[in-house]
Amino acid sequence: MAQFSPVVIVGAGTAGISAAVELAQAGIHSIVLDEAPKIGGAVFRGPYREAIELPHLDAKLRKKISNIRQQYHDHQAFIELRLNTRVLGPAGPNSLLVRHKEEVSDLAYDQLIIATGCHERSVPFDGWQIPGVMLLGGVQLQLKSGLVKPGQRMAVVGTGPLLPLVACQLHKAGVEVLGVYEAGKFSDFAKESRALLNRPVLALEGMGMLSYLKANSIPMHYGQGIVSASGDESLNKAHFAKYDDAWYPIEGTGTSLELDCLAVGYGFVSRNQLSQLFQLEHDVCPISGLKPQVNDWQQSSQENIYIAGDSVGILGGEGAMVEGRLAALSIAKNRNQLVEKDVNKKADDYFTLLHKVKSFRSGFDRIGRRREGLLSLLAPNTIVCRCENVTRAAIDEVIEQGVKDITSLKMRTRVGMGDCQGKTCNSYCQDRLGFELKNPDVGHVKPRFPLDPIPFSALFDGVQL
Amino acid sequence: MDQYKELMDHNKKLDRQQDIVPPSGQFTQVWVDDQKVDAVLGENILSVLFAIGKNAITQNDHAKITGAYCGMGVCHCCNVQVNGQHKQKACQTLIEPGMRINTQKNRLEEGF
Repeated sequence: MAQFSPVVIVGAGTAGISAAVELAQAGIHSIVLDEAPKIGGAVFRGPYREAIELPHLDAKLRKKISNIRQQYHDHQAFIELRLNTRVLGPAGPNSLLVRHKEEVSDLAYDQLIIATGCHERSVPFDGWQIPGVMLLGGVQLQLKSGLVKPGQRMAVVGTGPLLPLVACQLHKAGVEVLGVYEAGKFSDFAKESRALLNRPVLALEGMGMLSYLKANSIPMHYGQGIVSASGDESLNKAHFAKYDDAWYPIEGTGTSLELDCLAVGYGFVSRNQLSQLFQLEHDVCPISGLKPQVNDWQQSSQENIYIAGDSVGILGGEGAMVEGRLAALSIAKNRNQLVEKDVNKKADDYFTLLHKVKSFRSGFDRIGRRREGLLSLLAPNTIVCRCENVTRAAIDEVIEQGVKDITSLKMRTRVGMGDCQGKTCNSYCQDRLGFELKNPDVGHVKPRFPLDPIPFSALFDGVQL
Repeated sequence: MDQYKELMDHNKKLDRQQDIVPPSGQFTQVWVDDQKVDAVLGENILSVLFAIGKNAITQNDHAKITGAYCGMGVCHCCNVQVNGQHKQKACQTLIEPGMRINTQKNRLEEGF
């Protein structure tokens, strides 16, 4: 039998750890990389520091956090964990360039699993750059991993199942929660009830959250959303309104709240910069811009690269678990560590669950499909690109001059050319240009190597400048 | 419960009003903008900043003040200066004893 090197897995979240565990069960070693100091990904990373109790987190979440740690623990003879480690990009064939602190090195692989998850979609609005305006998942990370309250008086705005969940967690953490603003209409949720019942337990949990909010007098406003935020040095006011069917705020329906922190969550986009750098085949995707092509076993267009979890399509934790395990099973089969019959037997259950998860998710995707009204929330001087300080007016100007694709927009305005490589502003730019040109095909911003800034000191190790 | 209360009292002294549960574990101290702050090993710089109620954290390359936004290492809006080194992500850097953390500092202010 050929000797293989360990499978390299990028991302120690649900998909990555599930893949590593499934591989371990087949007797295959893996190296798991993650930029964070703990495993679990954004969803199940859990507290960074010790805590005597976690009154704001429900028992099920606490169990899942300890499960993922336990699973790793039980199989750690087969799993080499490299935390605080960032992947900078490919380093020649079958090799990655990685950075740990100031040290940059190569990591060779025979098979690679990309499980880089997702990040949140930014919806810029007037005042969104004021300290105190945060993304919803970012707020949740402070509760779950930081064990700190990011504010004292807060509101939650956006769309999707995470809104009521974070509102409940904030309230249990002792934050005064002034309201939840869901852009989807109540009738939209009723229409999707069949799709949502694909995961009846999740649907019931959602109802439980809504009654918790009600019991604690936290208003849940359907069909409403953010208009603007204000404050000098940091946030002190946010303005909301009813949205029409295209999510334009309806004049005369506005309300304002005094608060010091606002959680904004209009959905997620896949982190597929690495799969793009590998020049794998991608399809155009209405949610994430691009979606790497994978087969039923999460295998990409390059046969030794697999992609699992939210980095290939937003499905959440359950979907990530299944996809990670399917990728691992396929690798085990290809390495002749498992026979086809056993692989198929195991995979059958995973395929069934994955199908249900996808049907459930599609219900929320339809309700939360972002509408053009969200593009109307910026004033001319609203900053679109935070890193490079590019305003909406600067973008208006070059669109008027006839810019037709996203790359030209970037070159003309420097939008997306800063430290975050456009992960924060790209969604708006892409949507805006597509809207103005009445053509969603405006091209895609190509991710650049290295995927995260590195200091010169890391490049010139030992060289006297 | 006594232990809990004791920690809560201790907590007050730390000036960390934003903790959800009282800090426990191995305590240490760090400097935030030349002020001593108690911190717990294991937590990241961002949770120390939030614990003391600081949310205007970064001065970006265009002299704009930003605060933590994505909280997960994507947006670069919570960059701080750590032990003299600029642009360290507060949300991705674990605290170390005696760490000197400066908020709203940018290399461009120092000139060339």
